[in-house]
Order: sequence, then C-alpha cells, then structure tokens
Amino acid sequence: MTEFFETLNVADVIDGVPFSVTRETIREFCDGSLDYNPLHLDDNYMEGSFGKTKFGGIIMHGMTNFGLITRMLTDWAYAADGEHRRLETRWKSPVKPGDTITPSGVVKSKQVTDKSQWVVIDIAVKNQRDETVATGEAMVEFPPRVPATT
Amino acid sequence: MAQGHETQEFETDFWKDAKNRKSWDEIVPGEPRKTVPYELTLEAIQLYCRSVGDVHPLYFDEEYARASRYGGLIAPPSIHIMLMFACTPTTDFMRSPGTINAGQSWSYNIPARPGDTITMQARALDKFIKKERLFVVHDNVFFNQRDEVICSGRGQTIRPM
Repeated sequence: MTEFFETLNVADVIDGVPFSVTRETIREFCDGSLDYNPLHLDDNYMEGSFGKTKFGGIIMHGMTNFGLITRMLTDWAYAADGEHRRLETRWKSPVKPGDTITPSGVVKSKQVTDKSQWVVIDIAVKNQRDETVATGEAMVEFPPRVPATT
Repeated sequence: MAQGHETQEFETDFWKDAKNRKSWDEIVPGEPRKTVPYELTLEAIQLYCRSVGDVHPLYFDEEYARASRYGGLIAPPSIHIMLMFACTPTTDFMRSPGTINAGQSWSYNIPARPGDTITMQARALDKFIKKERLFVVHDNVFFNQRDEVICSGRGQTIRPM
C-alpha cells in the first residue's frame, strides 16, 4: 500500500458523501455529540439575534461538518494504510434543515519526512446551492516507503 | 434510561446551572477548566458514528477490526466532538446556550477505543473582540487511562451576550 502515496498528484480530488440535513439528523447529532445547545433544538430561542447574526431558526452543529470531513478523509486514508492526522476548519455560513452538504478535498502538497510521508489537503464543504459552508485544511500520514534492500 | 447498558449521567438541559457559568468577562485565559473523566463505551462511539453516517467496519465490525492494524475496534478521530461535552461539567462555559462554534483545529495521535477512560485537559487560552462579537479561544488535550495522548485541539467560540 505504500505506493499509494506515489500515485497522488497535486490537484487530485477526494470526493465526500452528500449528507441531507433534517431536524432529525440534527437531533441525532445532539445525542451522538452530547451537544444539546438550544441553537440546534429550539426555534423559539433562535428567533433572537446572536451578536450581529440572525439565524431565523435552528441550525446544524458546525461540528457535523467536521465529522463529515473526517469520515471522507478516513475512508480515503484507511484504504491505503494512511492515518488522518490533522484537520483545521472554519465555518463560513450556517446549515439549516433541508440543506444537503457535501465535503470534498483537493491535494495541495506532498511532503516526505525522515520517518513518514504526508499529504496536505484543502477542504471545502458546499451546500446544494454550491455555497461554501465550511473550509479547512487537513493532513494525512502514509507509512514510509520501504527502501530496497541491497 | 439507556438501552441495555449503564450510561454515565449526562445533563442534556443546557439551561440547567446556566447561572453558575462564567460569562465572557469572567473567563480567565490560561486558567484550567474543571473536567470529568469519561468512560467511552462502544454504544457511545456507534451513536456518534451513526449521527454522521460513518459506519466504517473499524468502528462496527469486531472481526474486521481485530484483523486490521489497529487490532480491535476503535473510535473515529472526530470522537473528540462528543468527548468534549462528555468530559465537561454542567457549570462549564462551553455549555452556555447560544455558544457558537466558529472553527476548530485538531491533531490526532492514537485512536480512542471502547472501554477507554478518557480525561480532558482544557482551558480558555485567549479572548478577543472582533466585529462586535466576543470570542474565546480554547484548547483541549485528551488522554486515555495510560496517559497517552489521543488528540489535541484548539477552537474558537463566539460567546452569547
């Protein structure tokens, strides 16, 4: 599997699985994540204004994006003995019930170190209107290439 | 009442004890947050996995996982999403209703596994005002019962006014 790293090229695309967001998936994520912030449960609470933000109704947990990106990266990496090592994210706009979001990745660079091989990946999560709801950068580590024994 | 297993008590009402939580003004960057150890169960891992539609056999299929390089079932890297709240007492500011997550970064070392007793070291690290919003930067490190680092992360939240 160590040759997988060799086959990667900058600009290669990693496709994630679309995820349809409903009140039920948001509720399930409350149970899965133990995050019961009323932002995700209470439409009445969400009538208010949050600093300079008005959401107008419950919103999906930002960390659902994070979980979906991780799922995309681990599906991709595990298959080639790689490990998901880092993910940095920023949320650009709220996701609401009825939206469908899809993560994707683009290989940004490759780096070989003394003991390992690394891929840096640009991440985006887009909704059904092609709006970017989250961006990020990830690192995946692959096992070192075994040197040919002489 | 959980189905078939003992779950640790978790208060799901984020309004409870809300008065005892630190406001943005009271948060002292650098001051450790109180945390509670949490025993990570297979049920909790799988509940989280299903909530993001992630049913990789490393988290669900014992035989597959045993034959893998991990030698047994593991939790996905992003399990810290639930561990953060699992290890957080009801008086912690992170449970304040209206807390908005603005983004996070996490580094992963070794996977958490079912049966692990997880501890979290956590603190607010910085606070600032931007575009009339009150931000706090927090950092977290998770350990297993052998004091091995599972993962570490840093995030930004916008505090409720």
